[in-house]
Amino acid sequence: MREGMKRAAAWVMAGVLAAGLLTGCQKEGGENSSAGEKSQETVSLRFLDTSPSDVRQAYFEDVFARIEEDLGIEITYESTPLEDAANKIMVMATSNSMPDIVTTQDNWLGQFTASEWILPLDEYLEGKEGQFADTVTKIVWANQKEMYGHIYTVPDGMMVKGIYIRKDWCEKAGIDLESLKDWDYDQYFEVIEKLTNADEKQYGMTYRGTRGAFDVMMVYLQGFTGGRTYDEEGNCLLNSDECLDAFEKFTGMYKEGYAPEESINWGFVEMVDNFCGGLTGTLNNDSEVVVSVQNSMEDDQWTVLPIPKSTKDGKIYNTVNAPYSYTISKDCENQEAAWKVIEYLSQPENNIEYCKQVGMIPVMKEVGDDPLYGEDGVYAAFVEQLNNPDMVVPTGYGPFDSTDLQQGPLYQEIQKYLLDEQDAKTALDNICGMLEERMKTYLDENEGAVVDTPKTMQ
Amino acid sequence: MVQNRKKEPIIVKRNQNYRKRMMEPYALLMPVLVLLLVVFAVPLINSFIMAFQKYRLGSPDIGFNGLDNFRKLFADDDLGLILKNTVIYVICSVAGQFVLGLTLALALWKKFKGRGIYQSVVFLPWAFSAFVVGLMFRWSFNGEYGVVNDLLMKLGVIKENIAWLGTPGYSLFVIILAMIWIGVPFFAIMILAALQSIPEDIYEAASIDGAGAVKKFFRITVPYIKPTIIMTLLLRTIWILNSFDLIVVITNGGPANYSMTLPAYMYTRAFSGYDFGFASAIGVILMTALMVYTLIFLKVTNYEEGM
Repeated sequence: MREGMKRAAAWVMAGVLAAGLLTGCQKEGGENSSAGEKSQETVSLRFLDTSPSDVRQAYFEDVFARIEEDLGIEITYESTPLEDAANKIMVMATSNSMPDIVTTQDNWLGQFTASEWILPLDEYLEGKEGQFADTVTKIVWANQKEMYGHIYTVPDGMMVKGIYIRKDWCEKAGIDLESLKDWDYDQYFEVIEKLTNADEKQYGMTYRGTRGAFDVMMVYLQGFTGGRTYDEEGNCLLNSDECLDAFEKFTGMYKEGYAPEESINWGFVEMVDNFCGGLTGTLNNDSEVVVSVQNSMEDDQWTVLPIPKSTKDGKIYNTVNAPYSYTISKDCENQEAAWKVIEYLSQPENNIEYCKQVGMIPVMKEVGDDPLYGEDGVYAAFVEQLNNPDMVVPTGYGPFDSTDLQQGPLYQEIQKYLLDEQDAKTALDNICGMLEERMKTYLDENEGAVVDTPKTMQ
Repeated sequence: MVQNRKKEPIIVKRNQNYRKRMMEPYALLMPVLVLLLVVFAVPLINSFIMAFQKYRLGSPDIGFNGLDNFRKLFADDDLGLILKNTVIYVICSVAGQFVLGLTLALALWKKFKGRGIYQSVVFLPWAFSAFVVGLMFRWSFNGEYGVVNDLLMKLGVIKENIAWLGTPGYSLFVIILAMIWIGVPFFAIMILAALQSIPEDIYEAASIDGAGAVKKFFRITVPYIKPTIIMTLLLRTIWILNSFDLIVVITNGGPANYSMTLPAYMYTRAFSGYDFGFASAIGVILMTALMVYTLIFLKVTNYEEGM
């Protein structure tokens, strides 16, 4: 009897395990069928936010509720932290489960377009391009057409870099901020030196040591190459003698103690935290940081200055990008509905509401003059740069996928130099070697491809 | 003739029952075997195949490239540094955990007032997630605001702040310290359980024979707990070698790979560089090294005899 019970229990356990396995392996048939029934009344879409925050989520959930009411399109908000976003999208794309609308960074487009994970939007935008600001048409889309042959994104808002600076520290150090509105890099380095007082735990520079460390430095070096990364043949221009001097000057800020020693390990989060926390006096970053700074510092403690001019040609070299642009994925089954959602999100009133909340510059011409973006607004320094005829948007790494380089090899070469493991020339040559190899491979593999050129608003 | 006809179905039925009985255990084991096959064998075989492929997630040209991934790995300038870090990390962490765990177990072996509470407190780190421990150490060893620098300054040990996480050598030291802290309770729990199974009368007999504390420890205690020590050392070595969570949270291998270990490097190459082929090659080497280590370790420690 006992033996029989044991056997019966064993069969039950095996049965339960097998049933569990089968349930785990089967497709979501049940859910799909109910979704199918629902889809007769409402169209359902998935939206992926790659830079989630409480503010962004609240905005999107609110606007999605309005879209459901106005257009009858139900949207599910999904999110993934920015650090893992490219990786997660890649996994979703390779398993054919990408959400319908994906917010995408400009530097992912090389891979996303080559792998055809996102769809061209030229047809949808036909006749509507004029509604968008010049920064979108003359820079973002001009670049996409040049590099990828089509327009793939609708920018959510524009981001430009600026130098966040501690007003109160400057006052103490006798620095006149008004005189710095037209500054160059030498003046910037001087300010960093003056603001540093390590004994008081005050450092002039927020140095970026890890992911993206070369991005900021590259823009400075491009002040000596006319904004170019490569020549027409794909040879990297960033290791010239002038660039080498500039590289040494920039990294010298860290080596000479004008930035915290530990910032060799800092990424975006640490940079913002330490500026807001009062350890560092300047921060080179995008306009989206405004909201974080506003939330943690008093208004009279900080301001934003434009990116310094090149000491070579007097031009401002600054990146302009739309970091979380809307794209339609290859897995989207209802592209018309997805486009309607993007159009709704881009309506001037929605666009400005969104930009104000997340710290970006609106992309729609109809937005008009909002005091926040005017002369006395917190975004003044960013907007002024966009209107400055001397501003040049330098080229990036190239149309190929460079995320792996940015997330390791590039910054590690700089770190080795900072730790005296190698000299500056070796570090810069190695960086250029990696970039040049990728660029030339790209040019070889893509017949007719050309090296992109710097863009201006003119 | 008639009798034979009646007997035949009975034999067939018996044979069928016998076969059913013989097959039953396999049928019962089948769901587990399928589960193991799906979640363990398939990924293992897949990663072995990927080690010989040019496999960058998202790249259109995926295909076999022979030993290229292994060649690339052995030509990597940082491999020497990473291997050195890995060996230092594993040896120091295992040794630290073992010595402190054994000491703790011996201290908790004898009954004393409040032992239960003390035991719960010292075993607590084992319950923390590596992520939480990582953050705790990252902030404690922060070069500017960290409590460690502050304490050392107040004690007069250092005169100026140390950038623990940004200085080669120190960054690995912080990770080892965190790993020791999180793992001591495991050794202590396992060894304490083994200690409590040693019969008291053996010690009484040894005392009558005139054995001192040291002699009793090495002649009675150690042989009794030897199988536990061997198994715990083996398991912890494998776990520590494979772990990369603390490294990723505390320093992410920096600065310039000075706190990078082989599994952390594998993780970085797979999930930052998306080079799954290269990462799989590291995985294959790691797996082989661990298998060799396990065999040698069990042979050298005479584990079978110890049982």
